Amino acid sequence: MKLDILNTAISRRRFLQVSGVTGAAAAAGLGLEQVTGQVVTDAKATAAESKTVITKNVCNQCPARCGVDVYTTDGRVHAMYGSLESPISNGKLCPKGYLGAYILYDPDRFKGPMKRTNPKKGRDEDPKFVPISWDEALKTVADRLNALRDKGESHRFALLFGRGWGASDAGLLGTFGRVYGSPNAAIGHSSTCADASKKAKRLLDGNYDYNAYDYANTNYMLIFGASFLEAYRPYNNNLQVWGHIRTKSPKTKVTAVDVHWNTTISGADRALLIKPGTDGALALAIAHVILTEGLWDRNFVGDFKDAVNRFKVGEATLNPADFNEKWTKGLVEWWNAELKDRTPKWAAGITTIAERDIVTVARELATTKPAMVLFERGPTAHSNGVYNGMAIHALNALIGSMYAEGGLMNQMGVPYGKLPVSSDDFMDEYAKSDDRKQYPRIDLVGKDWLMASNQIQAIPAHHLAGKPYKLDTILFYMTAPIYSAPEARKWEEALQTMYVIDTSPFPGETAMFADLVLPDHTYLERLQDAPTYPFQGWPMATLRVPAVKPLYDTKVFGDTLIEIGKRIKGPMGEYYKALGSTENVIKHLAKGFEDKPGTNSVNSFESWKEKGVWYKKPYLWRQVRGEFYEWDGTGYNKPMKPEDVKAKLLKTKSGKFEFKSSYLEDEHYAEYVHEKTGVPLERVGFPQWVEPKFYGGGDLHFISPKVALQAEGRAGNLPHATTIAQPVVGGKKTIYDGDRVRIKSEVGRIEAIARHYEGVRPDTVILPNILGHWAQGRWARQNRLPTGSASEVIVNKSEPISGLASYYATKVTVERV
Amino acid sequence: MAKWGMVIDLEKCTGCQACTAACAMENNRQPGENWQDVIYFTEGEYPSVQVKWFPRPCMHCENPSCVHVCPTRATYKTDEGFVLIDWDRCIGCKYCMIACPYGVRFYTDEKPLVGPDIKTVFKSNDEHSWNPPWKMPDSREDWKHGVGVQPRDVVSKCTFCYHRVSKAPKGTPDLSEHDPKTREYTPACVVACPPTARYFGDLDNPESEVSKMISNKNGVRLLDQLGNKPQVYYLTGVGGAVPSNRAIKKT
Repeated sequence: MKLDILNTAISRRRFLQVSGVTGAAAAAGLGLEQVTGQVVTDAKATAAESKTVITKNVCNQCPARCGVDVYTTDGRVHAMYGSLESPISNGKLCPKGYLGAYILYDPDRFKGPMKRTNPKKGRDEDPKFVPISWDEALKTVADRLNALRDKGESHRFALLFGRGWGASDAGLLGTFGRVYGSPNAAIGHSSTCADASKKAKRLLDGNYDYNAYDYANTNYMLIFGASFLEAYRPYNNNLQVWGHIRTKSPKTKVTAVDVHWNTTISGADRALLIKPGTDGALALAIAHVILTEGLWDRNFVGDFKDAVNRFKVGEATLNPADFNEKWTKGLVEWWNAELKDRTPKWAAGITTIAERDIVTVARELATTKPAMVLFERGPTAHSNGVYNGMAIHALNALIGSMYAEGGLMNQMGVPYGKLPVSSDDFMDEYAKSDDRKQYPRIDLVGKDWLMASNQIQAIPAHHLAGKPYKLDTILFYMTAPIYSAPEARKWEEALQTMYVIDTSPFPGETAMFADLVLPDHTYLERLQDAPTYPFQGWPMATLRVPAVKPLYDTKVFGDTLIEIGKRIKGPMGEYYKALGSTENVIKHLAKGFEDKPGTNSVNSFESWKEKGVWYKKPYLWRQVRGEFYEWDGTGYNKPMKPEDVKAKLLKTKSGKFEFKSSYLEDEHYAEYVHEKTGVPLERVGFPQWVEPKFYGGGDLHFISPKVALQAEGRAGNLPHATTIAQPVVGGKKTIYDGDRVRIKSEVGRIEAIARHYEGVRPDTVILPNILGHWAQGRWARQNRLPTGSASEVIVNKSEPISGLASYYATKVTVERV
Repeated sequence: MAKWGMVIDLEKCTGCQACTAACAMENNRQPGENWQDVIYFTEGEYPSVQVKWFPRPCMHCENPSCVHVCPTRATYKTDEGFVLIDWDRCIGCKYCMIACPYGVRFYTDEKPLVGPDIKTVFKSNDEHSWNPPWKMPDSREDWKHGVGVQPRDVVSKCTFCYHRVSKAPKGTPDLSEHDPKTREYTPACVVACPPTARYFGDLDNPESEVSKMISNKNGVRLLDQLGNKPQVYYLTGVGGAVPSNRAIKKT
């Protein structure tokens, strides 16, 4: 999407509306008789109806795993609708879901494997790709990898991935790195996604994961920066849920917190436009009100022994022994250390949210049952992101929504069958040797980044500096940090000095720097498994079934990887020969369903293909008024012991929801957290207010949200996506509507067309993060404004506990070009 | 004979535009030439901002301005309430586009909203204006009812998915996308709508869901004062609807 296009679209519609009204009056003036027109009965005679085949697929436009019915007639895919058999889709898709055929038939697709012939790399350098055979392509990769191994330099091969789907693609990557002997296969993109949300939850309730939610039964939602009606997955199901909760009895009330007027804010009953990076302060003040007004859920949290509420403003010497905590731990200590002073008045000064609104929201949240609080990157993509997230998630314990009906759960895993061979049996001496263990990951996770899972955004700087070493070969699967990672242009520099392998089916920024292209199938051509993202808790695994034979000489990525593996010398090659193909892998996965037939009776590879999904309801656990129960086949009847709760649900050290995180206080981490955040050692475990840091040297907060039509990595070259009007672009201080402006920070600058929009905080400018692709194909190239992605001006700073890139912590200046 | 009509519950609508995207796919629309659209409006100044969205298909008026002005009777209204265009008769004079108060009609020579022009990328060698590789099955094309890849030099508009709805068994009161028996006859935008904000059925059947909803929830019609009598009704929420000018005049 391009900003001036949006304006064109709107003005064109206005023209039609205005001229339409005038025209109607004029027509009436002509005094025409009532004309009913003709009824046509002689419809164009048609040949016998062709046979339409419906195949099952899984949408590729976000991670949600919506089941899709693909309609193919005479070998042509012409329609896709949500599958009625998919519990996420229920026959529906979000707007992105309908873009699949355009992706399949994208005229700019790569038609087969290619190698680069122009040794120079740059934005304006044509790679001069020439087609090669798959044999040559795979051999080229294998030769490089074998040579690295021969030199004892296998760590210099990195495999970076983003949207992995299941055991037949992303699930193969870790094994590849292990048997090959590289700590950098594979490094995921999660530190540029939403790791801080997961980490905040890990610290408090012991589950390093996003939550599953029982939206349909909730009566109150408090949403912090999660774009529930634009992007929060599963977006399609969120929209379905919205139609239900907003018309059910009683209607679910919604308060949304964000920095700009998005659809979620517009749809909500109350909009709280918060100063970027300060959501934690709001959450702490809400907690403060809940405690001082005695509104916490006593069934879940417990109570003072004499039932007299001692939480009074400023009261700092409460004795933890006076409070009987039930499923939480550390409430009184948290109060003494932090909450006592977190008054609505204090928070109003920090957040710019009115004191009265804070009190009202706290009362509503705590007195409406069931209620839930959710959050994502808005509050967490900041220097204080994990502490913000902890403050927000702690509210779910205070109101008793953990594992309750209408509350939050955790996603259960899928009982897949075992693979035909175990990689353990194919580790050779090289892969097992101590020599291999001396090399850290290129992103220094586990070293400099003690607590993070990934630090993909650190790779270019580390490579360029040769610390810890320089990479030789890098392979990308479903991720494009050259467009999406902070200080994206650094990747252009780094990729000039690596051998780059791209596996995308499409041209893009990565391919511009690629030495070798091994194009994947597009998703309607793939056989691929995909277990669900956190949804409603019960396990689910979806399956893509090819709707058509591959249009071009492409190969599903899982097979590309297996074929490379087969060509590696020694036991590794033997392992991949035994593994065979992704189809073989998937057939073995499906064997797990034989003795665990799904709720929809799926119990084999064939039935899985037919329905496109295996799932097994219900979720097995529930908290009811402070007691935990397990499903016994007919209901939540079997009481759970505290040790069961600890093993299955609240997986912290204490088996409780910890307001004082034992994980953070652990000796391995406390010192690190203290050193990196400045939080005093004795306070590191508490959800608390930490002043956010801002970078970039500008005067406007720069926020790059996801919009509804942001088809996964590809909307830039889909004219159907770019021409559907979307709200929320531009900002208050953008000089004039339609002006070409420069957005700049200390690390970069891009140009864009400004659009004045009243729905943005005056201290903030908004640029959706799908804009600015510069190499995706003919449409993306011809409509090159903004001149680059938002990531080019975002300073590469990461939150120390989770490693999440602080995407929303950059301040920019905007000036007319 | 059914009188097909649509109800759009604005309280449920999330403004997501799945309707628009599904319509474009089902009916081979060119980018941005959306038979079905959702129009966004912003009013007020920060922080007292209102952002509203308004879903708008063709209204399939009982008294359609477009039919009145068409010199060739290419635009017509059927007994079942569809307002359609016979592409074999349309001369592309665009009177209907001027006459329509709802702005729902499209002509083929409009400039593309983004370049390169998709009509040149997927070029047609026959009378069709373009040739998308994902086009509907050939057997479905039905120019007498304005169904298919839009030919050159004609006007097009939402058909209420005539090619689907017209195949529904006679006497069906409601076409629900949730019911496998009626799903394939239901208009694409209704099938697509994630929050189920759209309902489609027989306005003349008092037992139909649409008739009941219009009555129970005070359905209103867009620009009712113009007298076009749309067969698309909007529900505006529990607070009661703004009465139409026509209703005021009558009482």
